Amino acid sequence: MATSTVSRVRRQLPTSPWLFAVPGLVVTGVFILYPFVSTVVNAFTDRRTLIPGRFVGLANFRELLHDDMFWIGLRNSALYVLGVVPALVLLPLLLALLVQKNIPGIAFFRSAFYTPVVASIVVVGLIWVWLLDERGLVNSLLETIGVGRVGFLSDQWLLLLSAMAVTVWKGLGYYMIIYLAALAHVPRELHEAAAVDGAGAVRRFLTVTVPALRSTMVLVAALSSVAAFKVFSEVYLMAGPTGGPAGEDTTLVMLVQRTGTGLTGRVGYASAISLVVFVVTVALMLLVLRADRREDA
Amino acid sequence: MPTPSRRTFAVAALAALVLPLSACGSSDDGSGSTDASGKVEGDITFQTWNLRANFKPYFDGLIADFEKKYPGTHVKWIDQPAEGYADKLSADAAGGTLPDVVNVSPDLLAPLVKAGLALDLDKAAAKYRPEYLDGAWTGQQTPGVGGTYAFPWYLNTGPMFYNKGLFKKAGLDPDSPPKTYDELFTDALQMAQKSNGKVATLANVPTVEDFGRYGVELMNKQGTGFAFNDAKGVELLTKYKELYDAKALDPQALTATPESSGKKFLTEAVAMNPGSALDLENFKKQAPNLYKNIGITDQITSTGHVNMYVMGVMVNSRTKHTPAAVAFAHYVTDAQNQMSFAKQVAIFPSTAGSLDDPYFTKEDGTDETRVRIAAAKSLKNAVNYTPVLFSDQMKTALRNEVAKALQGKESPKAALDNAVKACDQLLQQQG
Repeated sequence: MATSTVSRVRRQLPTSPWLFAVPGLVVTGVFILYPFVSTVVNAFTDRRTLIPGRFVGLANFRELLHDDMFWIGLRNSALYVLGVVPALVLLPLLLALLVQKNIPGIAFFRSAFYTPVVASIVVVGLIWVWLLDERGLVNSLLETIGVGRVGFLSDQWLLLLSAMAVTVWKGLGYYMIIYLAALAHVPRELHEAAAVDGAGAVRRFLTVTVPALRSTMVLVAALSSVAAFKVFSEVYLMAGPTGGPAGEDTTLVMLVQRTGTGLTGRVGYASAISLVVFVVTVALMLLVLRADRREDA
Repeated sequence: MPTPSRRTFAVAALAALVLPLSACGSSDDGSGSTDASGKVEGDITFQTWNLRANFKPYFDGLIADFEKKYPGTHVKWIDQPAEGYADKLSADAAGGTLPDVVNVSPDLLAPLVKAGLALDLDKAAAKYRPEYLDGAWTGQQTPGVGGTYAFPWYLNTGPMFYNKGLFKKAGLDPDSPPKTYDELFTDALQMAQKSNGKVATLANVPTVEDFGRYGVELMNKQGTGFAFNDAKGVELLTKYKELYDAKALDPQALTATPESSGKKFLTEAVAMNPGSALDLENFKKQAPNLYKNIGITDQITSTGHVNMYVMGVMVNSRTKHTPAAVAFAHYVTDAQNQMSFAKQVAIFPSTAGSLDDPYFTKEDGTDETRVRIAAAKSLKNAVNYTPVLFSDQMKTALRNEVAKALQGKESPKAALDNAVKACDQLLQQQG
């Protein structure tokens, strides 16, 4: 009896796990694989929102090379990575070190630093727009102390910087939690040994904490660089749908949205831009992982 | 019971994966009938554009009356918010879920017409044409495509609000607001000078409608290309550059949205802003001080014609109940219902003879009536300055080039040349 049951289970084994996986596979297929394949196919067509496309080969990619707005988008997305990633690798680590200690009231600070993470990006974006407005709180303070009004939301570079600041501010808590988890695994004995050898706080940070957290820092760099390259909400909310003055703050994902949506959207061309975003994102991940591997070697 | 083989399972899994996909990708290309002469019956869906919040009782009554008039019909009313309306339409159109009867403006209608999603009323409902103003009927046509694709609905001009208190402070006559662009430029420069650049007169960069009202030819005579880069267009942009440099145009105008410029007007950071009759209630609630000082005037125009916004009601060409959908679209827009809607809010009917009704011609001594009569009068020779084929992408192209000119990165001439080139290219791509 037992033998026949076992053999029946064995016969059915190749099928059963797949049956359990079907719901997940369907969801993945419908919401990830199909849109992805569809985007790749569309990138080689002149499809519009309501008009089916014809195959146009590499025409969309050739057009990209001569599209000023594409280069502006690529520049801004790249600048976003350069501006945001170092800040998001270092600042949450410092915050994590600050709140790591179990002292009275520290839970309040941990919660406070994490609050922006759970806040809606739209709400956060609007609050910052009000703060940085020409007549907002920040400009009123600057005017009071004699600096005068600063065009945070009207100058293309200040706008981009302001959006980066919001991204960093909103992301600090999230990465701080990742670092806190990693810090809990750094052996206390290492710090004690370094202290006995006469290492100060800074030296211990550089020679004990940083090497112990290197793989976590790589993870944070990889996650934040992908998120930064694909930035949309912060810039859209602060710079407006046009992407700042003359569209100079447009990022690549904003360009995809602007080009490919609406009744006259150029779905084919927007798909080509999406494909570029995908390739660059994968390249960024590979670059970070490669840098990590080289360090290991 | 036989155990399914691996191959059988693989085929089943693939089918499970692909079948929903094929449903996603396919659009319902089974066109509905163009014959509207059958029995009016069946369930239809009616979509409006941001009207539920203020006019729910009116539409509930309208639908109930229609269902009573035509037993066997059922109208499901859905309303979409103002923001993202075009995106909602495009998602529905691409997904084959466009409602049977849809509230559209001519620029939103054009892409739906080109995709074959709007019913040609010249074929399906030609008998109703004499009921509407001729200009309103032809306003629902798309250049390059024969036919008329929506029943004309309400018309509006949209007033210009101004802050009398700020006008007074700047030494301007609060009872004599600017009417033409030249007057506007003079007043705006004075306002900026007297307030040391702290109060701007306008919060928005010029749009294609501004170019139209300034007297610029927007398109060539054949309607095949844009032409707003002529000397007159350059002159307008040059004047706006002067305003921007003098801070008579708000420094954040380059990134402004209608919402943000409305807020600037509410906080008295700008002195003039276009709006609608609904805004008055908003001023009353949110900015009582502003409300006390509010002035209402006509749109700025140098052509003698104000800009007219035209709404239409189209019938989905793929509706399963063409007679009911056409009957309902006509019912919503007939003279009687347009007139009763006009009495709910400051809009104007597009049906023949309605504007001669005493409601739009006879003074009763109130400000409200005075404004209504003036608007109805200006509507009689108003022009819809928004080119029907002017897409969102074209609006962005123009806006970005205007911004470059205002920042001094390009000359006004070069900026407008670039904008025309970009818009022409987009026009060609539309096919």
